[in-house]
Amino acid sequence: MRGTRAGRTALWAYFVAFVVFLFAPLVVLVIFSVNDSTTPTLPLAGFTTKWFRLAFGNGELTGALVHSAEIGVVASLVATALGIMASIGLSARRLRLRPVTVAILLLPLVVPYISLAVGLLILMEALGLPHSLTAVALGHVVIALPFSILVVLPRLRSLDPALVEAARDLGASDLAAFRLVTLPLLLPSLVSSFLICFTTSFDEFAIASFLYPPGEPTYPVFLYASSRTPALLPEVIAVGTIVIALSLVLVLAAAGGRLWAERRIEGRAKGQAQAPGDGADGGTGGGGSSTDGPRPATAPAAVTTQSA
Amino acid sequence: MSDTEDLVVGRDRRPSRLRPGRGIFVLPPLLLVVVLLLGPLVLIALYSFGLRSNIPGTATTFDTSNWKDFLTGSGNTFRGLLWHSLGITLLVSVATTVAAYPLAYFLSFLAGKHRYTLLLLLLAPFFTSYLLRVIAWQVILNENGVANSLIQALGLRPHGEAVPWLIYSNFAVALVLFYSWIPFVALPIFAVLENMDRRLLEAAEDLGASRTATFLRVTLPLSLPGVIAGFVFVLIPTTGEFITPLLVGGTGSQLFGNAIQSFFVDSPDWNYGSVLALTLITLVVALTVVFGRFLTTDLREPGRGTQE
Repeated sequence: MRGTRAGRTALWAYFVAFVVFLFAPLVVLVIFSVNDSTTPTLPLAGFTTKWFRLAFGNGELTGALVHSAEIGVVASLVATALGIMASIGLSARRLRLRPVTVAILLLPLVVPYISLAVGLLILMEALGLPHSLTAVALGHVVIALPFSILVVLPRLRSLDPALVEAARDLGASDLAAFRLVTLPLLLPSLVSSFLICFTTSFDEFAIASFLYPPGEPTYPVFLYASSRTPALLPEVIAVGTIVIALSLVLVLAAAGGRLWAERRIEGRAKGQAQAPGDGADGGTGGGGSSTDGPRPATAPAAVTTQSA
Repeated sequence: MSDTEDLVVGRDRRPSRLRPGRGIFVLPPLLLVVVLLLGPLVLIALYSFGLRSNIPGTATTFDTSNWKDFLTGSGNTFRGLLWHSLGITLLVSVATTVAAYPLAYFLSFLAGKHRYTLLLLLLAPFFTSYLLRVIAWQVILNENGVANSLIQALGLRPHGEAVPWLIYSNFAVALVLFYSWIPFVALPIFAVLENMDRRLLEAAEDLGASRTATFLRVTLPLSLPGVIAGFVFVLIPTTGEFITPLLVGGTGSQLFGNAIQSFFVDSPDWNYGSVLALTLITLVVALTVVFGRFLTTDLREPGRGTQE
């Protein structure tokens, strides 16, 4: 009932073709990372691991990776902490100037990074501050904050307020109720938030390229500089392969883990709310059937916020 | 639902509890964005009107000549560049949206219970380093690159004669932007299709509509918010794009963002650069306001709870 067989086959083929198209450049990098030639060109020249060895012997490259990792961790922790605060604030019943507050908090999503980068450059000049990795990290907190809010706030809203009230009734202070009840329930979203913020920061080029201190580039800044130096290209590709592999593993683990955690929590909540027997299924079952009720909104929302 | 709970649990107790003052938590993140985003925007505006200068000893007076030159100067290079940029951006946005729709449709209607896994497959490359993916395309499209090698191996062109427009061209810039953003467009369309009431499709079929008619008159109109959201998801970030043209664009295929960058790096004229940066911000914010209602993120009303 969902179209003709030919139509279905065509859509399958279209999808497969796109997946190939999307992964092809990554595969190309993997291939050239073990190709025994100083230029990434065909025909292939035989297998080698020397680019990996050279890359990890390249202090500038490993230094750049360390800088980016440090900035990424710091910026993500700060952005997630601020994201929790913003989410708590925004979930207040009454909030003065709510639309303006929301608009300002989400503004970093739309302001082009290049404009923000030159703005921060001007700000630092106006304040007489030197370029530093701290400045880069602060810039990254700004751009990561909306992502954190978009991940944490829906989760906070979906929590049953009765849980916190119960904790309060049992004598917990506000802080204890937050730490012992709210925070553990937010955990999946906090992990997602951290990962999204880290990915954003680790990959960010515009702000970093304007604010990094001389001689201490971040990884993307180093990548850009060395992509113009053909001699460095094989090493860059080798490290790039590792970075790509790590980020793919991380994304898959995060998405899988989060879906699992949310299904568990929701499955439990459903089991309690409804008569037993129905609703234990997390929602993916019977996907082909058109008589399903409205789809569970949480699963797509989870994916949406993952990549927002 | 939460409203009734409040009534049951006791509204009278609420004021002394968590609720009052909860909104205050929004202040630290708000302050950060105000200082590090709105502050720089104000400084950019001051620069664009000549009220500040990066060259010591320059007189600073209110001066609209840069704006006049940019907006009305006959044959202004940068205004031309802006139109060129918007053309490329629009082309890429339309192309990605059109190409992404069947992907989302496939996932939602045909992929069955594996659709989230397949969606993740589609999104995964998006989470790997943007810069690395552009470098991968550089390796592919290069004069001696994979694409040219294949074309020549297939005998489509004589050996040693690279296809001239494959790299350092508008084509290369558009292709890489298309590649980078397509998964991101498929996502909102997928989300809308997933949340669509499938009974409407059955109703259309029961009432004798052909598959084409059902698609054109029910599915497509209902999925338009997702389509527009996807379109804007590409339009906004690509409007300020400057990394892709740096790596795979030639002198004739730079975008507006590159002009901003060069005014702050290569030939410093922060005043003129600020005019361009502010133009870009204004443009993108205007786009967001116009299309904003398709991007509702549920942040406005607190406690949406379950749908009544």
